[in-house]
Amino acid sequence: MNTASTFSRRVGWMSVLLTLFCSVAFSQSRTIRGKVTDARDNTPLPGVTVKIVKTAAGTVTGTDGTYSISVPAGNTQLEFSFIGYETLTVPAGSDGTLNISLPLSSKNLEDVVVVGYGTLKKKEITNAVTSLRPENFNAGVARSPMDLIQGKVPGLSITRANGNNPNSGATFQMRGITSLSGSRDPLIVIDGVPGGNLDLLMQDDIASIDVLRDGSAAAIYGTRGNGGVILITTKRGRTGEPQFNLSTAVQRDYVAKKPRYLTADEFRKLAPNYDEGSNTDVYDMLINKGNLSQYYTLSASGGTDKGNYRAAVYYNKGEGIAKRNSRDQYGGRLNINSTGLKGRLTLQSNLAINFNKADLLGGNNGDFEQAVQRNPTSPLMKDGKYVNPNGYNVYNPIGRLEQELSFRDQQTLQGDAKVSLELVKDLRASVFGGISRNTYNDRQFRTKDSKSSQDSYEGRGYAYKGNFMMLEKTLDLTLDYVKTINDKHRITAVGGYSYFFSTTETYNMNNSGFLTDGFQDWNMGNGLFLREGKAGMGSYKSEYALIAFFGRVNYSFNDRFFAQGIFRYEGSTKFGVNNKWAPFPAFSAGWNLHEESFVKNVSWIDQLKLRVGYGETGNSGFSSYNSLILLSTGGAYPLDGQYPETVGPSRNPNPDLQWEKKKELNVGLDFSLVKGRLSGSFDVYNRTTSSLATNYDVSLPSNVTSQTMLNIGTINNKGFEIVLSAVPVDKKNFTYSTDITFNRQQNEMTRISGNLKGNQYRLERLTFGDLPSPGALGPAIRVVEGGALGNFYGKRFAGFTDNGDFLFYKKDGSKAVAGDIKEEDLAIIGNGVPKMMFSWNNNVRYKNWDLSVFWRGKLGVDLLNLQDMYFGNRKWLPNNLLMVALTKHGKLNAAPQYSDYYLEPGGFVKLDNVTLAYRFPIKSEYIRNLRAYVTGRNLATITKYSGMDPELQDNGLTTGIDNRGFYPRTRSFTVGITMGF
Amino acid sequence: MQKKHMVLGLAAMLCGSVSCTNLDEKVYSELVADSYYNNRTEVMTAVLRPFTHANAWAAPTGQVGYWRVSELSGDQLAWPQKGIHGFDGGQWIRLHYHTWTVEDDIVWNPWRLIFWGIGFCNNTISDLEKLDFNKIGMTDADKASIIAETKALRAWHYLRLLDLYGIIPIVTQVGEPAKPHTASRKEVWEFIEKELRENVEKLQPLGPSMVGRVSKAAGYAMLAELYINSQKWTGVVKWDECVAVCNKIINGEAGSLKGAAPALETDIVKPFTNVNHTSPENLFQIAYNQTKGKFRFGFHGDMWHYVQWQAYNAVDRGNNGIVVVPSAYDAFADNDLRKKTWMLIDTLKKHPTVRANEADSVVMATEEYKGKPLVFVKEIRRNSEGETGAGGMTRGEENSGARFAKYLPGTKDDAEFWNNDFVLYRLAEIILYKAEAIMRKNGGVANGEAVTLVNSVRQRAFLPTDWTSAAYTTATLTLDELLAERGREFIFEGKRRQDLIRFGKFTSATWWDHAASSAKAELFPIPARQIRLNQNLKQNEGYN
Repeated sequence: MNTASTFSRRVGWMSVLLTLFCSVAFSQSRTIRGKVTDARDNTPLPGVTVKIVKTAAGTVTGTDGTYSISVPAGNTQLEFSFIGYETLTVPAGSDGTLNISLPLSSKNLEDVVVVGYGTLKKKEITNAVTSLRPENFNAGVARSPMDLIQGKVPGLSITRANGNNPNSGATFQMRGITSLSGSRDPLIVIDGVPGGNLDLLMQDDIASIDVLRDGSAAAIYGTRGNGGVILITTKRGRTGEPQFNLSTAVQRDYVAKKPRYLTADEFRKLAPNYDEGSNTDVYDMLINKGNLSQYYTLSASGGTDKGNYRAAVYYNKGEGIAKRNSRDQYGGRLNINSTGLKGRLTLQSNLAINFNKADLLGGNNGDFEQAVQRNPTSPLMKDGKYVNPNGYNVYNPIGRLEQELSFRDQQTLQGDAKVSLELVKDLRASVFGGISRNTYNDRQFRTKDSKSSQDSYEGRGYAYKGNFMMLEKTLDLTLDYVKTINDKHRITAVGGYSYFFSTTETYNMNNSGFLTDGFQDWNMGNGLFLREGKAGMGSYKSEYALIAFFGRVNYSFNDRFFAQGIFRYEGSTKFGVNNKWAPFPAFSAGWNLHEESFVKNVSWIDQLKLRVGYGETGNSGFSSYNSLILLSTGGAYPLDGQYPETVGPSRNPNPDLQWEKKKELNVGLDFSLVKGRLSGSFDVYNRTTSSLATNYDVSLPSNVTSQTMLNIGTINNKGFEIVLSAVPVDKKNFTYSTDITFNRQQNEMTRISGNLKGNQYRLERLTFGDLPSPGALGPAIRVVEGGALGNFYGKRFAGFTDNGDFLFYKKDGSKAVAGDIKEEDLAIIGNGVPKMMFSWNNNVRYKNWDLSVFWRGKLGVDLLNLQDMYFGNRKWLPNNLLMVALTKHGKLNAAPQYSDYYLEPGGFVKLDNVTLAYRFPIKSEYIRNLRAYVTGRNLATITKYSGMDPELQDNGLTTGIDNRGFYPRTRSFTVGITMGF
Repeated sequence: MQKKHMVLGLAAMLCGSVSCTNLDEKVYSELVADSYYNNRTEVMTAVLRPFTHANAWAAPTGQVGYWRVSELSGDQLAWPQKGIHGFDGGQWIRLHYHTWTVEDDIVWNPWRLIFWGIGFCNNTISDLEKLDFNKIGMTDADKASIIAETKALRAWHYLRLLDLYGIIPIVTQVGEPAKPHTASRKEVWEFIEKELRENVEKLQPLGPSMVGRVSKAAGYAMLAELYINSQKWTGVVKWDECVAVCNKIINGEAGSLKGAAPALETDIVKPFTNVNHTSPENLFQIAYNQTKGKFRFGFHGDMWHYVQWQAYNAVDRGNNGIVVVPSAYDAFADNDLRKKTWMLIDTLKKHPTVRANEADSVVMATEEYKGKPLVFVKEIRRNSEGETGAGGMTRGEENSGARFAKYLPGTKDDAEFWNNDFVLYRLAEIILYKAEAIMRKNGGVANGEAVTLVNSVRQRAFLPTDWTSAAYTTATLTLDELLAERGREFIFEGKRRQDLIRFGKFTSATWWDHAASSAKAELFPIPARQIRLNQNLKQNEGYN
């Protein structure tokens, strides 16, 4: 009896239907009837599980929220539970009617948390896991689903180096840097499909995003767990009459800050010699002032107690702040769930598809670099034709936008299905299959007059077509086991086999010498370059597979002690023959202190849980074939009048190549105080990632190439994370709640050099951030053994000479010009990795009004102002200058030198999102609810940084370096409505 | 445990017994050696791989290889800083002043690239030695000839390393030994001589089918270089041996690209044109062909000003890098045709086809002289700021220094556009080697034969009316003069450092803004990063 009830709890909300079949008719019973409604707006809640406590009997509410259940005589209690809402346990009473109003909750301990290959209740969690629901998401139209949780997960850094560009992605990094050459991204799992494509997710389709922050949870994903795991679950069908939801929004972006470069007149005055007679403001001409992004999605869901569905379709047009910088997409998502064999068999399936067309031509950093540094008196057109100036680092970006095309047409698809069968009591077997396919066609065209054609293709035009296809397949075979013994010992276990296969194919071709520009790229064979042997084509295919056996066992004792063990044994095709398989163990435990007598009596403590977890994970995120000696082609050479490609070994073999290993200890505390008015968690972690693969010098000779990819380096990350949620005011018509996340992190390169199989391998340093031409000023960032990651390393500014030359400090404290500065005089001059990240969210609800104000920031970081360095310098003439060349840097009269002169404190606080929403009090049989909102994003930035925007790339190894060209950061405003009917 | 067994059992049942744990990698777009070498073409692609690789280090095509360190450390060419351009971490300045360090990339990269080429040779030799040629329709004679060619090519790589580094490890197999020992200069010299002597007669004679390959002529040219430098490198005099191998080439015993024996061109442009694979003067070259092989001698990056392409109606952009230093430009007499033909100075004129109109005839500058015509000047100094005097390595401007014009790609409308081969050995050099060996055997004094030989090369560079005064006599042809003449003849050909060292001037002489350097600079240091990995390597004197 109990087993059945724990089982239904275990499977949770996803399988509420199953409980239907568990209902048992009792004799000597009475019938209770009633209606369950949403406490917020009193709309009926269908699909709510109604259960008789301590029995297996139960039912679910119908489409109108009503239920009817027969209960045994006596003092019976009924439990009402529904995903996203508080679970209430209420005495059945005697009058036969029991209406329930369920309050919304995101903090409920009975909530399920997706943890990979299954779910756990929140109270059973023994790891650092963040679980987010739609009500926690950032408001507004998200360019990517990950924008929804930016700043919401402590320790997860989500950075969009290209601002709100609809065609650029974000980078993610969990708890600091864990790899030098391999992938650092968290593993994204969509509905159980690892590596799922984010393009497929519309924000209204997402039911939850669960983030496994520490290794004791991520170990279940083995060789892909080092970067953390983000598990996204989409919305499922619901039982009852079909319900529709419509969501729509429009958004416009405005330039937040425009660079102050010299106008044509100012330039003319400063450098009359370079006056070419025109007045241009290229920056303004690149901006799409009328940009308007639109978003529409309509979903319907419904079903019976034996099967349900949810279907959603959407259209989204994203327009960037730049011209020729847009993305149109549409698609849909379908979820169907069925049960059979009296609830013993379930089939859940999803199908999602996305079509998008992106205009990739505009919005590139190069165009905006031109906008700043191009001679503003230089004409863009002459005699009705675009002028393409000659000279170093100059082109005509307006001409380029007119003379070139670059489009991507992309389709992504994900389908998955899970069949689950209860084999015997307590044991279920499941087969899960998923497929994800991402294909795109790129097309490019450049007219004969275009600069690219003139410079590189003999002025004979250029056309390109490229195709990319990635196909990934997942097969998981799992067994789930649940057993409760003596009401106190509860064991849940999952074990299985997993097979993952990924293949990528590309091909491309280009041709020139077309009869006419009119063909664009639609008559590729027409180009004479093909006949002249100057056309190009290529194709490539690679693949890899991961195979794993895994298991996870959770044990809980009396809801007081929780323990979890994970083991995954995984192999990858990418590893060398000597190291094909890797073990990943993890163990974690939790202790509900509030269940102990010494805390139980403290009235203001609701929950106090101590967690300790240790886990090992891996990273195999490097390219295939690295362990093999391959023969590659190396240019053509004459043979018998022909020119075959030559062939030779392309790398040294490394049969020992293996995964990168992370060991992580996490200690956490969850608490909830004063009846949930103040809650939160605190986590402290220490993680060491070893066997980092990167290229090392090997003995040459007798190796063929000078470097081999070896597993040697070690990085240590430590830090802590705080989440605080408070509800300072909670009145009927007025609530105020606030959430704070904060984390502090430290990354250290503890080992770069080391011994492997008796050989000593050494890397003096790793360098990143090579500064651009002219001058090739070398790398900005240097990482040495024992040092922090992201250190800026260079000269120390000591003032100017009378002539305006740079002076720098030498090691002994004396001052010298750049030519006299030696390696020994260089020092660590800053660090581009933020030490602290935080966010502060405020929600105020007054009657039907909602206001949320979200602040986000990063602190403890230095930024290299590359725009000042190159363009804020009079030596940049004859190209245009930033005004600071004459003001702030007015004393300077020398070519740029890399030094701390150009480093600035880069900490910032942004007013990232303000949303005001109104919920219309509609009493209509057609419309269930209607909500309208206005969102403003990136409204204000508080920073000392003088550049365009302090939020630069801070993930990975090249951090804190500004771009010379800079896609404009925007302030955006969104108006939207959501409606249920 | 029971659970685990069930899991495994279920897994095995569902996915079959073999594939569910198979982690072999399947390769698609590259090759694995076990399934390659099935016919002559496949065999030859491995033989030819080191030749295309030599593009990276033997020719001025963008990497720091043998060519760059040999020319930029010498008294003819430099890569000065030009305003905000060309500082490049100071590496060109260190090369020019001979102040490189054991950690320098300019020291490491030639080692890396040339030993990489040796790795290709070793790999080809061991793969082909294992191969049964009869099974793929080839003969044992083919095998002997191909392996001999690869061994001679390997010897040429060692010859370059011997020149740059002196003491180096000798390795003839991939991966064996893991940490090879340093061999003395004499041992390396002897290894090269043995390899060349054992294989030179197995090589094919030079002919049109051997363009760009190691023919007999190439093999004997390598021996000539080995012998002429023997006294400097090992202390052992090999003048007679040098003359003997030079004679083999001159007499036509090693074949020729055209005719019975190699012959000097009368037109000094001919060895370098985009059809120079037919020049009877050339003996060994990297055989480029942009038209058919998309493989070109891409010197524009190192040599051309950003807009210099306009002068040729080419399409390729330069980086405005390497220029002729003033003293080297002045070393040519004004009536020396090589001065006008192989170098570029004064106003750069646009090629007629890129002119917008009649008046639009000059190439316009883009940097210091933006808005004005691009006029190359021999000085390397800030003329735009009124600087006078010698200038210096950090004092350049966009138009500083005479420029490279020895090789020209043709116009983009030319069927042979960019088809120039880069010449590694040509008959002129063999003749001058022979003359030099004769003079040195004769106590450093020219005799009639030496003068005749040198004049035969030099005469082409003068108009008949100028020749009488320009011709050498036994009185005027000193060793110093021979060095200067070699400079004029082989400028831009990657020979200068070796010549300066052999004539004892590399570290003692001064030129332009370069002062005499330390004697240790005659050899580059063994890269410190390799000594750290392999304790069996020794460092050159003066660098510890």
